[in-house]
Amino acid sequence: MTEKVYNFENIPSRPETDAILARMGYHRELTRVNARDGLLINEGIQQGLAFCNNKGAYRRCKLSEIRDERIHFGAEHHFQSASLARMLRGSREVVLMAATVGPEITRAIAGEMAAGSPFRAVVFDAVASEAADAILDWMKDFIDKILLREGKKLTRHRFSPGYGDLRLENQRIIFDLLNLSQIGLKLTETYILVPEKSVLAVAGVEGIESNG
Amino acid sequence: MDKRQFQEYLQKNILILDGATGTELQKRGLPTGIAPELWVGEHPERLIELQQEYLAAGSGVLLTCTFGCNRLKLAEYGLGEKVVEFNRNLVGLTKKISGGGAWVAGDISTTGRFVEPFGDLPFEEAVNIYKEQVRGLIDGGVDFFFIETMADIQEARAALLAVKESCDSPVWVSLTFNEDGRTLTGTDPVTALITLQSLGADAVGCNCSTGPEAMLEIIAAMKPYAKVPLLAKPNAGLPKFSGEQTVFDMEPAEFGRYAPLLVEKGVNIIGGCCGASPEYIRALVDNLREARPILGDSPGVTAVTSARRTVFIGPGFPVTVVGERINPTGKRSLQADLSKGKMTEARRLALEQTAHGATVLDVNVGMPGIDERETMLRAVDQLAVASDLPLALDSSSLEVLEAALRVYPGRAIINSISAETEKLKSLLPVAAKYGAAFILLPLNERGVPETGRERIALIEAVYREAVKFGFRKEDIIVDGLVMTVSSNQKAAVECLTVIDWCGRVFGANTIIGLSNVSFGLPERSWINGAFLAMAVGKGLTMAIANPASDVMIHIKLAADVLTAKDVNGKNYIDYFTTRDREKQDIVSLPTQEATTIPGRIFKAVVEGDKELIEDLLRKGAAEGYGAKCLMDEYLIPAINKVGDLFEKKRYFLPQLIQSAEVMKQACAYLEPRLKEENGAVAAARINIVMATVKGDIHDIGKNIVVLMLRNYGFNVHDLGKDIDAPTIVNKAKEVKAMIIGLSALMTTTMVEMSKVIALAKTEGLKCKFLVGGAVVTPEFAREIGADAYAKDAQAAVRIARQLSSN
Repeated sequence: MTEKVYNFENIPSRPETDAILARMGYHRELTRVNARDGLLINEGIQQGLAFCNNKGAYRRCKLSEIRDERIHFGAEHHFQSASLARMLRGSREVVLMAATVGPEITRAIAGEMAAGSPFRAVVFDAVASEAADAILDWMKDFIDKILLREGKKLTRHRFSPGYGDLRLENQRIIFDLLNLSQIGLKLTETYILVPEKSVLAVAGVEGIESNG
Repeated sequence: MDKRQFQEYLQKNILILDGATGTELQKRGLPTGIAPELWVGEHPERLIELQQEYLAAGSGVLLTCTFGCNRLKLAEYGLGEKVVEFNRNLVGLTKKISGGGAWVAGDISTTGRFVEPFGDLPFEEAVNIYKEQVRGLIDGGVDFFFIETMADIQEARAALLAVKESCDSPVWVSLTFNEDGRTLTGTDPVTALITLQSLGADAVGCNCSTGPEAMLEIIAAMKPYAKVPLLAKPNAGLPKFSGEQTVFDMEPAEFGRYAPLLVEKGVNIIGGCCGASPEYIRALVDNLREARPILGDSPGVTAVTSARRTVFIGPGFPVTVVGERINPTGKRSLQADLSKGKMTEARRLALEQTAHGATVLDVNVGMPGIDERETMLRAVDQLAVASDLPLALDSSSLEVLEAALRVYPGRAIINSISAETEKLKSLLPVAAKYGAAFILLPLNERGVPETGRERIALIEAVYREAVKFGFRKEDIIVDGLVMTVSSNQKAAVECLTVIDWCGRVFGANTIIGLSNVSFGLPERSWINGAFLAMAVGKGLTMAIANPASDVMIHIKLAADVLTAKDVNGKNYIDYFTTRDREKQDIVSLPTQEATTIPGRIFKAVVEGDKELIEDLLRKGAAEGYGAKCLMDEYLIPAINKVGDLFEKKRYFLPQLIQSAEVMKQACAYLEPRLKEENGAVAAARINIVMATVKGDIHDIGKNIVVLMLRNYGFNVHDLGKDIDAPTIVNKAKEVKAMIIGLSALMTTTMVEMSKVIALAKTEGLKCKFLVGGAVVTPEFAREIGADAYAKDAQAAVRIARQLSSN
């Protein structure tokens, strides 16, 4: 395993329409939408998807040790997180992942708000958020297929900095290790990714044990 | 071996390849962290031993030990300059081992980087990397080439083109398919086969990732469409990770038993991959002693592909709709985008046409003021990922078409090739090189012939030329060339004559540009629809049209049923059943009876009807309803109703926003009238200062809260995003704000909220604090001394009203 960064310039993932609607509060059994709004929402979803430029990156790093909720990986890096340490208990590697839908959709959202079209802005926002998650799901699936050839698999769950006890500040470590400026990302002083609809994640690599 | 010898051999024999090299060399001491090619050069006896065992087991082909012997892979070991030398030497070694007892195949595999448009390795760079390796393999004297374990169709194309552009030797291409039956980047076996055999692969198949059992299905899927031999090189079962290494779970005897099954499914060439040592090859040989190859030429089916999908075209398939809308003519948004080098509108048109039922997309980016070649390349890149549909590349420029065909990750349609001599001379070789299908335009230097008979003569002439380049009838789609009946009423009949002849006599697919027939006439959709039905009745297989046209799509669906192309009417029934179900979902909302003007005002707000509201308010005023009455008794209750529907989830966010926008419009309309009615006493409005805190750039949630609060008559001062505490507090002092509303979306920025509250208290402000955002919780709000936490816009309104009434 070489610890190199793999970049994807155009990821063919697509969020489910159901997920986009659910993000805006749509309830399958309860919510009712008239024909006009249904058409506007569908058009908004299509336009929103067209604004998304899906990019991603990932890297596999050897897991050196997990000690006292401190996860040591790669040459000299570590995360501090009890929850992440628990998740990575059976892992031999960590996989760092990044996904972004690009800046155009964020500009479009701001543009719609400024133009007095919050309806479209909200639809675009939901599309972008779900699209970013869909990229990560796609990448997880992709990496799993590569790992399968080695008799390995990713952990079922993944962690993003800012959730649980994996502090947001850890975005800096992942950002630097994935060299994310290559896919057009920036990280602010407050550890916020720009463009906004971008997300980082950590997963582990486990072996598919032999039966014999 | 040349291609003819190869084909002759496979007519009569199953060709046995060798087995694993990487896993076997590891058993023989290959350490990790060293380039296998370098190690074998230093320990040739290990490879000699292995390949002699394969020969003894019965392998008819030995693969050179050059799997990763390309510049990018070797560079990982600091050996990037050794490509040609290593390849040449390793071929020499295997040729010596073979001693003429087996063919020697130059083994080529992935570079480890993903090729554009999907990855970041430019396509031409990938081709050149492979050409460098091919040079070394040719120097060494390989008999043919084996491109294997390819996980991406575009990388496979790059390697295939590299070989084809370097020599005339046979070249096989094998991809690796996962459990879901697709490659890593989503290509299914049939799509891979169609793309690669069209591009000139002499055999296509699958290797690695799985054992022989899963490959039965892959080969069975490919065989009906294969014009070339098929190969399978399975692993010794499924991989499992045991301690420090990967092991495989199938024994040689079981592996061997799959061999005749694979041959029955259509395999002509078989070997073993990871874990398949010489005993596995022996098992294959033992089980195939009586086997004979299943030969077969695939029927003349027209198939075009994208990277991830095959579309079949022909009389046995539903009519193919080619979406025409990606064309800048008459489309200002698309023109604006293309001139700025953007592809957003093109992507949107692709998604829209796909949703409406197109199964191929025509792409034309020709317009003045842009570099058509660069724009087409960008379009192909973006659309290849944005859509699963195959593309018809539409340009009158040879340079544009050639560039696009080269990078297109599938089998495209060229739109178009006419009978003009220069066009034939220049375009047919390019179409042949890239294996494209093409639309044949039966027109020549003298223009479009008026009669069907004259067009038929041109079709035959073009076909005679095309045959010289290896084209068959299934590679050609004849454009019936319909002209408008408004200038020649026989135009439709002449076109139908061509379509009929192509289907009944000539045996080729046909296409028409549907909307041409009605140009200049009113109510064009009826002419277009009737013509489509008539043409399908005469055997039409494709139509270029706007798939958003209901008339067109409905007639196409009906015609597919009537011509038995839509088996059991499944598509037709599914289409209309889904549509009807969607209509049933649209339930009338529980608004009050809307016969009176005020009732209709109420309904317009509840249903978010922006267009009607001002007119209704005008009528209300004309009927004597005062502004205050309309506001207090109809508008506010309406927006409250909307809030109630939202809280009960009968409405979701876009509907809430839609109604809020109508309310905003209504308030703006009534405001001067309210001032008039109230005279000098203007209602005191409560001031609220809103901001996303310092360091945070997220603001859409905050913006929606602002909108809603304004609907309810609050005077909201929205400071925007990334606002520091002093600015917020100073504004609140200036406007005498009753409430400060703060938003933060990140754990690192929410701490700013406590700074704002602390500063405000220090400065003696008595206002209330309302906080919200994805990471904010009621507990956090309490902790920092906020007065309330709001989980969404509706809650913010409710709380703001409570806070201000207290």
